[in-house]
Amino acid sequence: MVAIYYVVFVNTLYFSILALSFRNIWTIFRRSHYSKYNTLSGSELVPSVSLLVPAYNEELTIIENVNCLMTLNYPTYEVIVVNDGSSDATLKILLEEYRLKPVPNTKIRGKIACQKIRGIYHNPEFPDLYVIDKENGGKADSLNAGINLSHYPLISSIDADSLLEKDALIRMARMYMENPEETVAIGGDVRIANGCKIENGAVQDVSLPRKIWPMFQSIEYLKAFLGGRIGWSHMNGLIIVSGAFGMFRKDAVIAVGGYRDGYPGEDMNIIIKLHRYMLENKLKYRVAFCPEAVCWTQAPDSYRILSSQRKRWGRGNLKNMLENRGMLFNPKYKVMGMVTMPYNVIFEALNPYFRITGLLALAGYVLLDMTQWPILVLFGLLNFVSGYLLSVGALVLEEIAFKRYNKLSDLVKMLVYSALKFVGYHQLGVLWRLQGHVQFMQNNNSWGTMTRQSWSEDEKKTSEAA
Amino acid sequence: MFPSLALAYLFLYICIALVVVGVILLFAMKMSHNGKRRKTAFYELKQRDYFTYLQTALTENSPLKLPPGKLAPLERRVIQDRLIEWIDQFKGEYRDKLIALCREAGFVEHDLKELGRLRYGRQIDAAYRLGGMRCPEAVPGLMELLKDEKPGPMAIMIGRSISRCTTRQGELKDMLALLLTKGKSIHHLAADILLETSLDTSRILIELLEDRNPDFVKVGLVAMWGQAVPEVMPALDRLVGAEHQDVRAEAVKLYLSASPALRDETILKLIQDTDPEVRAEVVQALGSKHASGSIPLLRKALRDEDWRVRYNSAESLSKLGEPGFEALCQAAVQGTGAEREIAMQQIESTMQHTRTEDRAVEQMIAHNKKRLLYDRYFGPVRENRTSKKRTGVATVGGDYTA
Repeated sequence: MVAIYYVVFVNTLYFSILALSFRNIWTIFRRSHYSKYNTLSGSELVPSVSLLVPAYNEELTIIENVNCLMTLNYPTYEVIVVNDGSSDATLKILLEEYRLKPVPNTKIRGKIACQKIRGIYHNPEFPDLYVIDKENGGKADSLNAGINLSHYPLISSIDADSLLEKDALIRMARMYMENPEETVAIGGDVRIANGCKIENGAVQDVSLPRKIWPMFQSIEYLKAFLGGRIGWSHMNGLIIVSGAFGMFRKDAVIAVGGYRDGYPGEDMNIIIKLHRYMLENKLKYRVAFCPEAVCWTQAPDSYRILSSQRKRWGRGNLKNMLENRGMLFNPKYKVMGMVTMPYNVIFEALNPYFRITGLLALAGYVLLDMTQWPILVLFGLLNFVSGYLLSVGALVLEEIAFKRYNKLSDLVKMLVYSALKFVGYHQLGVLWRLQGHVQFMQNNNSWGTMTRQSWSEDEKKTSEAA
Repeated sequence: MFPSLALAYLFLYICIALVVVGVILLFAMKMSHNGKRRKTAFYELKQRDYFTYLQTALTENSPLKLPPGKLAPLERRVIQDRLIEWIDQFKGEYRDKLIALCREAGFVEHDLKELGRLRYGRQIDAAYRLGGMRCPEAVPGLMELLKDEKPGPMAIMIGRSISRCTTRQGELKDMLALLLTKGKSIHHLAADILLETSLDTSRILIELLEDRNPDFVKVGLVAMWGQAVPEVMPALDRLVGAEHQDVRAEAVKLYLSASPALRDETILKLIQDTDPEVRAEVVQALGSKHASGSIPLLRKALRDEDWRVRYNSAESLSKLGEPGFEALCQAAVQGTGAEREIAMQQIESTMQHTRTEDRAVEQMIAHNKKRLLYDRYFGPVRENRTSKKRTGVATVGGDYTA
């Protein structure tokens, strides 16, 4: 019965978060709809932003991404690409494409520790583009190097394999300007670009992925971002701002010592550190989520890469929870201490153990007394139907506020995959998380395998990094 | 066991019912949205000739004609949206003609009625469109709506509508007061909203800068960026000594960017300000005003505790010719710690910059003088500087996806 109670309890919590998302969705819809109304993108009053783009072996996508970033609708911003000791031609391609030259005696403003910088490159013809070439140190280290060079009060971290919508940054800035004193971080909505038509560094035609793995992730992202993060941000309990696209107040990031180096999960870690710092210093703050600021990203499209990514996430999550266990059930940390952290420990980090032991116990119980098999069926059905309801809820939110996928067939496909997710994919997620925990215990801190594919449909090139 | 099972069954049935409702809702919404999209596209196509006519007729003296025939509600909305889009893009006579057309077509009257409805969604939609149509009669209703609105994006939108609609300066100030009393520090956004007005902004800015409410002053200062309003200089002069730190910092920035000359007592006062932002602005201004008499002050500012002040001082010294450059060299040789570091950085930057980019004879002469000074303090310039490269760092790369 414990397992059934667990399912009921966890789903009640999920539904509460989803309900908060529904509560806010009309405001989000109106905010998104009326944003075309104002003229902020031409205003000098918008705060300047430094876009930080860590790049490791991104030779296939980097130019398209930088071109995309350099043509955003935003008054004043700079793009700082940080080549994190790539072993491919990432740096060479950047230097050639933008005719960048080394800059001697560059004004490094910040003092956050990072790996040795080999060189900083710039071309006055592209005054808002800088490239930092540094020794390999990981994503967090690259972001720290970018912060040190950045010239503006706001920073935005963007993955080199992601494409921002043209007005994504201005939408975030508008949200920041609505409460600049309290806002320390804003997360954007990350969507899966696999299957979309990409031209000139922008998504021209939105379509669902054709392959099975990205399709599952598409549903998963919709559920997590729309069904979850809108609700969490409403109660200021957001524990993560996606590393693919987020905006931060630079002084706050520097105050917490920048990004944590040497371990995955730096995007969650920086947000926990910000919460901790602001609450310990009794400062009013908010970590917001801006679902109308959209970033399109390439999702892993093979089992090998996806499993590698998910194990890494599992490791990062566990590390963050262990590092910050002092916040757990600590009223000093308000929503973070009393809701978000317990939720993440019990229902995210320990989720595999509850699920597996629950299932084993149920199976054992039924084996002992075969007449009780309906309980096992009931457990499975509860798990499936409640989870499916959450997916349907997220799709309703998408339809109310964003309507990105126009075709009726897309809706059918999303509903079908939302159901299929529970047959295999969900269980694999539990397994990968468990394997991530095993890797954590074994001190395995490798990044794993990752491939990159060119945005261009004509070029079927892929590159691999390990 | 039984109550738990009963609870589980109840939960299951509720979930199933909600799934069924959700799926039906999804299909209904999708079909409705797609239908609306198709109809909108159809009406846009249908009214293409009318839109072409409007673009041509805007340049003529005669008033714009109404669209022909009886219009469906969505068709009216398509036309209204297009007119609002153009009103935003055009100014002067063209804008006035489009606004008059909106009135004649009944769009203004309809939205004024909508603004008085009880349903919040309809009120908000009407507020948005009335702002787009610059309707002064809507201001009292919009003001009422703003009073009840929580701080956030909708309050901003209503404020913007009021700014666009109003023909009275007092209403603009009332709107600002309502926005700013909602407890959030939205001075930049409020300034942006303020500048949407069609009223004479210079008078409003003077009034804001002279107001006793620091929030109004801050909005006025922020709105001043990029605006040339000579009449505000006395007010700025006074605000340079303001009590509020952020007001003072903003005022100093504006004052220094606009003032052709700085009085010695003003410089001395500002360079000792407690706010590093103020000090940084002052030392930066000293360089751009080529005030070589300020070299001792700048030399002292190289020891400031704030990085920006030190950096701006070094940069200003490098702009003050040979005396300034010599002061940098002295700081690099005689100074210690951060002072020495920033001076050295600036010297190397100046040497590199002039060596590679300055081609003009005068600049070469100036450069050579600086080079002589450099040689005197540090010895001959080394042409090729090499940096040691570290190797053997473990690779930590890969997928940076969220």
